[in-house]
Amino acid sequence: MNFHALAPLRRMARGNSGGRAQITPRCIYILPTGYGLLFGILLMLMLTGSINYANNLGFMLTFLLVGLGLVGMLHTWRNLLGLEVGSGRVAPVFAGDEACFGIHLINQRRSARSGLQMHIPHHSMASIDLNPVSSELLTLSVASSKRGKLPLPRFTLSTRYPLGLFVAWVYVELDSECLVYPKPGERMPERLLTRYDQSKSGDRGVGADDFVGLRHYRPGDSPRHINWRAVAREQGLQTKLFGGDRTERCWLDWNALQGDKEQRLSQLCRGVLEASGAELEFGLKLPDREFTPARGQQHRADCLAALALY
Amino acid sequence: MAPAARMPLSRVQQYTLLALLTLTALPHLLNVEIRVSLLFLLLAGYRFVAVGRGRLLPGKLILFLITMGALGNVLLLYPILFGKDAGVALLVSMLALKLMEMRVKRDVHILVFIGYFMLITQFLYREDTWLVVYALMMVIALTATLIESNRIHPSAHPLGALKVSLWMLAQSLPLMIMLFIFFPRFSSPLWNLVEQKHSAVTGVTGNISPGSISRLSRSSAVAFRVDFTQQIPPPSQRYWRGPVFSSSDGKNWEADEADELPAGVIKGLNPPIIYSVTLEPTPGRWLYALELPVEIPADAQLRSDYQLLRNTPIRRRIRYDVSSVTDYQTGTLSEEVRTKSLLLPPGISPRMLDLVDSWQQRNGSDSDVVLRALDYFREQPFFYTLYPPPLGESPADQFLFETRRGFCEHYATSFTLLMRIAGIPARMVGGYQGGQVNPLGNYLIVRQSDAHAWSEVWLQGRGWQRVDPTVAVAPERIEQAIDPTLINDVIGAPVLFNLEEGTLYSVLKKLRWGVDALNASWHRWVLGYSKERQLYLMQLLHLGALHGQKLAFAMIAATGLSLLLLTLTLLYRVRSKPDPVYSTYLDFCRRVQRFRGVVRMAHEGPLDFAERVTSKFPELHASVAAITGLYIAIRYGRQDSKSNRRRLKRMIRSFHG
Repeated sequence: MNFHALAPLRRMARGNSGGRAQITPRCIYILPTGYGLLFGILLMLMLTGSINYANNLGFMLTFLLVGLGLVGMLHTWRNLLGLEVGSGRVAPVFAGDEACFGIHLINQRRSARSGLQMHIPHHSMASIDLNPVSSELLTLSVASSKRGKLPLPRFTLSTRYPLGLFVAWVYVELDSECLVYPKPGERMPERLLTRYDQSKSGDRGVGADDFVGLRHYRPGDSPRHINWRAVAREQGLQTKLFGGDRTERCWLDWNALQGDKEQRLSQLCRGVLEASGAELEFGLKLPDREFTPARGQQHRADCLAALALY
Repeated sequence: MAPAARMPLSRVQQYTLLALLTLTALPHLLNVEIRVSLLFLLLAGYRFVAVGRGRLLPGKLILFLITMGALGNVLLLYPILFGKDAGVALLVSMLALKLMEMRVKRDVHILVFIGYFMLITQFLYREDTWLVVYALMMVIALTATLIESNRIHPSAHPLGALKVSLWMLAQSLPLMIMLFIFFPRFSSPLWNLVEQKHSAVTGVTGNISPGSISRLSRSSAVAFRVDFTQQIPPPSQRYWRGPVFSSSDGKNWEADEADELPAGVIKGLNPPIIYSVTLEPTPGRWLYALELPVEIPADAQLRSDYQLLRNTPIRRRIRYDVSSVTDYQTGTLSEEVRTKSLLLPPGISPRMLDLVDSWQQRNGSDSDVVLRALDYFREQPFFYTLYPPPLGESPADQFLFETRRGFCEHYATSFTLLMRIAGIPARMVGGYQGGQVNPLGNYLIVRQSDAHAWSEVWLQGRGWQRVDPTVAVAPERIEQAIDPTLINDVIGAPVLFNLEEGTLYSVLKKLRWGVDALNASWHRWVLGYSKERQLYLMQLLHLGALHGQKLAFAMIAATGLSLLLLTLTLLYRVRSKPDPVYSTYLDFCRRVQRFRGVVRMAHEGPLDFAERVTSKFPELHASVAAITGLYIAIRYGRQDSKSNRRRLKRMIRSFHG
């Protein structure tokens, strides 16, 4: 079924600003499937036979199945009706990877909704049976091609349950975006990556060489420096401080690189990944903004986001 | 088509489909030629073994060869592929082939459709109640299979789909009823198919020999039902006249169907009884009516011997209206009929002539002779039995003087012969006598066990008069019917009539009445629902003007209305009340959105949301934290109490950003 042929005319379920859409009667489309048409032909045949043989039991069975078909249509329609679709968290990806959009399907009803299928043409599909009063998180993935913000494309939510004779579907549009980092490029030249900065104010306990003491854990501290033994003794999270005059610190500098904009961004992305992988303290210099050297996941995410949106 | 359609079937699904479809085809295996049935069983059995052993499934070439073989098989047995037998044979073969190539989920639909079709074709052969129940169970199971196959994962509960199926079929029932009532019926088939041989139907036939009626008497099958508009006549008047037997070869008596002379005048001595009969299929063309019918159905004739013959054979249940007079005089006797009614068959013994002679020695009229003959039966040791001893070459003589044990046909034939010997025009009448009144339905049921034969003599001044010699021997026979369920225990013994009625017996009897009342309405309103019945029903519903096209519109309207009602009920059920505490909290979220424009995201928990709001608007910290804290404590903690719920509501209502 090519749902997208009807593009200009269609009504759809749009998410509200909270990222949720509820499926209303007006936005549900329903058509018989191939099997539905076959079933119709079968019923015509049965009816003709019953008329010809004036067989009342035949009439009864035929009409029972006609009723079943109609009730099935109603149930297929109702299977979508009132369903809530919400956007979930989306983890950033690197360009070229699959962006995975989390999508919540929420069933507030006290009956199950089985056979639900979500589908983004040419990309991916996901299916689920929803239990009564429950919600499930599904993922729809979209291949990302370039850095920036990748919005969740319009997708269809469809069902053939219970009889497979009819297919009901809605177009859903949710405000959900995936942040796409640049594709990591070539390695940055070694000389640009690492630079030993001499700390002028002496030992600040942020070095990497000699153990100088403990302090309470603060968000952003590297897990490698957590005093796990103390955790095991249930003394709380403590961070080991290391001294040493030297601290590994580097600057990832836009201006130090060559090539066009995308190439530079790719290289910087690679730089960020390697620096944070090596637990270096790094800073990022872009033509319009600058991140002072720091470490930690948040810093890494901020830098990558800046690269993605530059 | 979704790729799910190409998913292979699980073992459970394969076994279910195989079992269900074999069951749907099972009653047909007796209807088609044995070779078709064997092929089906063979292929289905092989497929059963092949479940879980994919390599045993035939490849494309083998499948093609099997298909050709199966088609050839059908073509050889039914050279002209025409009529229901050929169609069913083809269908059974097709099902077997489809079972062979069933592999993926997509096949479920096709198989279930074949199953539905298989079920409807069963009704062309049988209309029994058990078959209806069987078919209904099959429809439920087939539909459940279809529902299960449209799920993404198998149901957690094995009977989950069955429940949905039952529920959906229950919802389709009103639609079915509306369509059934209003769908315009046609009086003639769309086209005539080759008429097939009919299964043997039981009933009184146009040929009576000793033992033919007593054989019938062992069957409790219903012969016909009668609805009276007024008082039901007493048992002694319930003589249901059928074939009239005038000619005999000494052993067999034949009814004359060829004589097309119309009936003479019947002078009724009491007002006619009006009633309608629902007749089950019978072997002949006789319509049964109380003696004697005066007003007859349009498609029947009343012959000179007062046989009521329908123009066409009675191959399915029919219903007709008649009126009869039970006290009557017929006119004069034509010479032709007199000769016919006095004709003596071979095998009249001297003993019989002597017997009649002894009656005639004493002076008296013909009616005195009749009375003396009846006295003879009454006074001599005659027994009335369902299992009379076999009779030889001259049955009448043997019966009258040697065995003296017989059933109604023995008494009627010998009495008729004796009358003819005495020169009184006489003939034998076959039909039914009696019938049971169903107290729950105000109608009469006449069963095959009520089959009876009696005589008719022509007396000067009165015309044809009924004489039932059986009454002389066993008057109870006329007052009380034989209960065929009791007969089988007393083979050879004289018949026991329904005498003792214990409590259990009377309960059982009532139950049987109830079942029969249901059965009768089922026959009348479902199996026998016709164009005429439809018209009658429309008049009952004060929709008399509905027919043809208007009826079709009414059908659409009624079905549409039922569907609409169903939709509304389903819609009503869609709305479910969310948790009251949660909806209170949602009210808070709406307020935050209204006053501060912060919208709670779908993935955001209450704590995250509170944190986001307070980071944007630190001045709201106190109220947001209090509300969120209380909400969490009520919903997830142990603080759920009426007062706390009220407090939360109050706090949220007073929150104004």
